[in-house]
Amino acid sequence: MTQALASKKEPLVGMGQVVMVGRADLSRAVLGSCVGLVLYHARLGIGSLAHIVLPSSEGRQGPPGKFADTALPFMLKSLADQYANRSGLVAKLAGGANMFGGQGPIQIGHSNAEAIRAGLEDVRIPIVGEHLGGNKGRRVTFETESGDLHVEIVGEPTATI
Amino acid sequence: MNASVKSARVQSLFQEIFASATQSASESLRGWTSGQISLELDDVHELPMEEVTSQLEVGEEMLTIIALTLEGELGGQIILTFDEENGRQLAATLLNRELNLEGDWSALEISALKETGNILACAYVHTISELIGKNLIPSPPHFIQDFGASVLQQAVMAQAMTSDRVLVCRTTFLRGKEALDWRVFFVPDHALLSEIHATVQSAS
Repeated sequence: MTQALASKKEPLVGMGQVVMVGRADLSRAVLGSCVGLVLYHARLGIGSLAHIVLPSSEGRQGPPGKFADTALPFMLKSLADQYANRSGLVAKLAGGANMFGGQGPIQIGHSNAEAIRAGLEDVRIPIVGEHLGGNKGRRVTFETESGDLHVEIVGEPTATI
Repeated sequence: MNASVKSARVQSLFQEIFASATQSASESLRGWTSGQISLELDDVHELPMEEVTSQLEVGEEMLTIIALTLEGELGGQIILTFDEENGRQLAATLLNRELNLEGDWSALEISALKETGNILACAYVHTISELIGKNLIPSPPHFIQDFGASVLQQAVMAQAMTSDRVLVCRTTFLRGKEALDWRVFFVPDHALLSEIHATVQSAS
């Protein structure tokens, strides 16, 4: 688990990982049915990116970023440790695709997104941008300088939320 | 993980099973490509979930992918990946045409790649099915152009449901002795992995 502030090498956030992203830094993830959750504190210019794989831990152990119900508390604590309190945070979500045209074995994208939305509502963090669903993978790049989350899909123009 | 590769002996038996399946797939592929292309098993990996894409060197680039799902009680994914040029080259070879890297893929090119995936996967799955004494049912092949990491992550999702580590098999494709930038990944789900593990345990 990476807890240190991300470097300027644009770290690629793997399945189940969470990174803190410092001022003027970038972080990336490639997503399928997983959901990338960004929490961003505009005044401090820092944020966190989680690559969430499954909606619920159901009490199981694992990397905190793997499950929606463990990723959010872990991100909030990591941000609070950097003086980024909950009241100043906003959220952005991307990913949650139904890969293989919805024919694959585990189509969990929608459940992931719903679990994250519910968790954010519980802690009253507003969602200011979403880019979810469909049946294609996404490459996302989060930049703290602007708070932008750039979303690339093969064959489509880049979207920014 | 109950069905993890727990010892060198078990690891070796796993390797034997997947090498046998790879050999069958290689023979079928050689037949399909008039003896030009074969494949070899490199290794059987058990990896932390978060390291799958980096360890298997499936990065952010767009790949052409043929994906088949094992349907029924014992599941899994077989994924054949090419970069754009290698995929086009294979289609051109199979269709006996000049290589053309421009424009959209034609229906015929897509069909040629799908059939390649189908032949490879059926031979691979048939061998594993015989070894474990259970029926495995591959789906029709899907043609996908997407980020390699997105597709591989989806393929390991069934294992990620129950474990933080995933087992994948990696192979090298060869044209003669020249390694090609094609890859195939076999990712059994937990139930199939348990069956393979039981077969290995009874043999050890």
